[in-house]
Amino acid sequence: MSNARELLPVAGSRETARHFGRLALRRRGAVATTVGTFVVFGFAGIVPVLMIGRVVDTVRDGGDSSDVVRAAVVIAVAGLVAGLASAASAAALAATVAPALATLREEVLDSALHLPTSRVEAAGIGDVVSRVGDDVRHVTESLDEAVPALLGSIVTLGFTVGGLFTLDWRLGLAGLAAVPCYAFALRWYLPKSAPMYREQRRAEGERAEALVTSIHGARTLRELDRSEDGRERVERTSSAARDVVVGVFRLFTRFGFRMNLSEMVGLAAVLTGGFIVVRTGTGTIGDATAAALFFHRLFNPIGALLFLFDVVQSAGAALTRLVGVAAIERDHTAAGPVGERPTLRLQGVSHSYEPGRPVLEPLDLRIAPGERVAIVGATGAGKSTVGSVAAGALRPTKGCVTLGDLVITDLPEAATREHVSLVSQDVHVFAGTLRDNLRIADADASDDDLLAALTAVRATWATGLPDGLDTQVGGHGRSLTSARAQQVALARVLLRDPTLVVLDEASAEAGSAGARDLEHATAAVLKGRSALVIAHRLTQAQQADRVVVLDHGHVVEEGTHDDLVAAGGRYAELWSAWSEG
Amino acid sequence: MRRQRRHLLRGYPFMTSWHLCETSVPIVIGFVIDRGVANRDVGSFASSLLVLVAVFVTLALSYRIGSRFIVRAIEDESHRLRTEVAGHVLDPRGVRTDLLSGEVLSLATSDASLVPVVFRQIAFAVAASVSLTAAAVYLIWVDLAVGLVVLIGVPAIVAIIQVASPLVARRTHAQQERTATATGLATDLVQGLRPLKGIGGEDVATARYRGASQDAAGATIGLARSWGYLTGMTTGLSGVLLAVVVLLAGTRALDGDITIGQLIAVVGLAQFLAEPITALGELSAEFARSRASAQRIVDFMRTPALVAAGERHPTGDAPQLSLCGVTAGPIEQLDLFTSDGTLVAVVVEEPTVSDAVVAVVSGELEVEAGTASFGGVELTDLAVPARRGALVVTDHDASVADGTVRSIVDPTGDIDDETLAAVLDASAADDVVALHPDGLDRVVREGATTLSGGQRQRLILARALAADPPVLLLQDPTSAVDAVTEHEVADGLARLRRRPGRATVVITSSPAVLRVADHVVHVRGGSVHATGTHDELLDDPAYREAVLR
Repeated sequence: MSNARELLPVAGSRETARHFGRLALRRRGAVATTVGTFVVFGFAGIVPVLMIGRVVDTVRDGGDSSDVVRAAVVIAVAGLVAGLASAASAAALAATVAPALATLREEVLDSALHLPTSRVEAAGIGDVVSRVGDDVRHVTESLDEAVPALLGSIVTLGFTVGGLFTLDWRLGLAGLAAVPCYAFALRWYLPKSAPMYREQRRAEGERAEALVTSIHGARTLRELDRSEDGRERVERTSSAARDVVVGVFRLFTRFGFRMNLSEMVGLAAVLTGGFIVVRTGTGTIGDATAAALFFHRLFNPIGALLFLFDVVQSAGAALTRLVGVAAIERDHTAAGPVGERPTLRLQGVSHSYEPGRPVLEPLDLRIAPGERVAIVGATGAGKSTVGSVAAGALRPTKGCVTLGDLVITDLPEAATREHVSLVSQDVHVFAGTLRDNLRIADADASDDDLLAALTAVRATWATGLPDGLDTQVGGHGRSLTSARAQQVALARVLLRDPTLVVLDEASAEAGSAGARDLEHATAAVLKGRSALVIAHRLTQAQQADRVVVLDHGHVVEEGTHDDLVAAGGRYAELWSAWSEG
Repeated sequence: MRRQRRHLLRGYPFMTSWHLCETSVPIVIGFVIDRGVANRDVGSFASSLLVLVAVFVTLALSYRIGSRFIVRAIEDESHRLRTEVAGHVLDPRGVRTDLLSGEVLSLATSDASLVPVVFRQIAFAVAASVSLTAAAVYLIWVDLAVGLVVLIGVPAIVAIIQVASPLVARRTHAQQERTATATGLATDLVQGLRPLKGIGGEDVATARYRGASQDAAGATIGLARSWGYLTGMTTGLSGVLLAVVVLLAGTRALDGDITIGQLIAVVGLAQFLAEPITALGELSAEFARSRASAQRIVDFMRTPALVAAGERHPTGDAPQLSLCGVTAGPIEQLDLFTSDGTLVAVVVEEPTVSDAVVAVVSGELEVEAGTASFGGVELTDLAVPARRGALVVTDHDASVADGTVRSIVDPTGDIDDETLAAVLDASAADDVVALHPDGLDRVVREGATTLSGGQRQRLILARALAADPPVLLLQDPTSAVDAVTEHEVADGLARLRRRPGRATVVITSSPAVLRVADHVVHVRGGSVHATGTHDELLDDPAYREAVLR
């Protein structure tokens, strides 16, 4: 296996926008309400400022108090309308975005779960976990919080600038005078900040890694007398991260300084514009006042925009990683029937993970209906590869695998699972109840079915659990010993009721007392099925109908346990090593 | 707080000055319009603009200087808390805590960064209070009635919002919890991807996730709604208050009681003041959060050491481990001794007893009766440095850190290639190296998930052998390897450990290992059932039952 990872795809920004846009536009009603309420909100927001300008003019011209009253009433009404619109827009926006995001993350998980095993292994499970975990969390958090704020700021900004222009085009232009200043500040900041943020992420990543390895591995470090190294590493990475964060903030304050000065320039320009308009008699003091207040009103949205820009940009990057996974094409071919009394045939199967390094030489293997075949061999002999190929989890470089009428090598993995179950070396107790853990294999199983399966695999402990099938296991729940976890894995096979079972070192990790219990459980599960057992403990081989001995990808011996022991070959050697004691 | 006093004392005045300037912007706008624009005189307009420039420059500089001090203090304090938590968990004597390592991690990350945020909260509290007072004085100076309306109206609105905010807080909590549940479910499913795919459970899993995901989406919409009510209410009430202020101030201005500049300033302040008042209102909740984090860290730092340790050093040249009539947990009156140059195998029928033996020797489980000693010193009196390197325990929960094969087996980096090869050979871990193009520099990721169970077990064994301690306790070192490898390991153990100055205890039920042991102790029900060599014990049916397959 090589260390070079072939990470899962990342979508282009256009594809991402199209994909997410399609999901969001599914709810046209909510989209229309969102747009409508935001327009009302933006419009209602500029009315009070215009009214204040009127009041200033009224005062200046010594007008009537009824004008002031009228302006006040309009302001109150506009405020109430803006309030209603703001409430409605928040709800409508969430009703548009949240379901779209939910659909996307479900697509991502579904797609990730259906990835071919070989693809997952090439990408590394870490990449898949980070897509369905970190990336989803990142996008969810920013869409929930940043997008409403961003849209609100954009709407306020747009309408306010529009308001400036309705007062007087010169005032509008004066307002735009600040734009080059902001642009200058951004152009100064962005090229400097990007590498610094990268540096910050790197330093924080190193710190996180140091913390994770030292805290999770505290016990190991202590036993190896390396605790001090762990402390030093945390101290070193943490203080480095602190210095970088402080450095980044220093840069940010310099940017903030330029932003403040831009605000000053803009406000001064608008006031100067107001001064000119008033002096030339083309506008009123009220106009000048409204313009200044308009511009003052922009401070917060502009600040928010620049701050959110970063957030939205990184959320966008995470979104491309999600769409990349969601858009992976999937083979939906369904499995047909296997026919009466199906035989498993591997014909001329060879495989190499890397070109030029074959792990399986052309190999033929036949398992009759109900037959139990054990594969024996040293580490690296290719045992697990044969198991994966037979179970359809790995497409061999060459050769063909059939089960009765079914051509396993032509089917997607999920379709093969209709008839073939694979119990792999790594057991996993899923976070959830014991019932959840079993129903993974059969969503419709009744509690009676579940209990019967547990009894069959001798999981007598299950009846003693505090909440029975509702007991939380895995995750933060009660942890199961590896022997119990393997019993659960075997019970799942019973519930799934496949024609063929491929068992890969399923009792490898248990101590000897537990191993015997598991052997009985295994016997119960394999009864009446065809089985390919990757034998780790030779007792598993002893109980098989036939034993196949693999060495460096070749079948070197084949026969019943007794015949092979009598023959005095490689197997006999293994058996005496195992049993002599 | 005291640690950061220097930074904070410098930071707070600047932050206050910054906030005062922010507050005065509406007043300055009023001033410029009144003095400059309304007069239509270039000179007075230019001089009023200078005031504006002065205010802004002060504002910008104050923030730039003040916030740097505050952030410096926050980051430094957070760093110190983080290293203190990590230092505690990495105590050479261990920590007796119920917290999962993930929870300790969150103490060192999120809690450590939440606590010092209190510095910023105090900065805002001080700055906001000062500028609110200044604004109040200004408003009352302009006009008592208008001032009172603003000074009562703004806090009243903030108070009304505060009443509604627990609803939002509850919904926020629910939404975060559901989102976290959905994410946790997804990560867990992917981590169990192989078993899941083996059983064909993809669609059931997706359906389960869809439930959690829709739940989270529902909670998000619920939160957005209540958030919408809150902001809608704020916007609406502020609009009404603004109308009242405009009405009052406008009428006063019409009567000539206040100037146009003052009218603009009052209206501007009425809008601006909601911000610091809201911030002050939210402060108590944020303060509580920081306090809770601080409490969690303090509680953790008070947890005692896991391993009882004293000051004494073992006596004699080749100190030996001795458990004499030890009763502890499931162990009853257990006798177990190492002797120099020998390999002792222990067959333990019950896993809990096996774990208890390991815990007693590690010093983690208190001995109720009898003595557990090393070189004549009770294990609980043993000084930490004396234990170091002399008595190594490798249990079956041992983990592998990130790194290369070489750095895992030889973390100190002071073993020569020849010894390293001998160790890898003895633990039959040479295939981990040989089967991989990068050899000894093969990268192994955290938790060693790129290795099989057997490979991981052999690397851990190699690490223990490489440490080459005078006394070594191994728990089930061959439970995950195949028959042939088991023999290689047994021979390797005998080769490396059966020599003067080295003593070894192996808890195992592997006939291959038992065969090479000098002495076998059969433990049943927590006490010694029989002792002898493997061959002698084979006559006992109970022993045969325990070790043969």
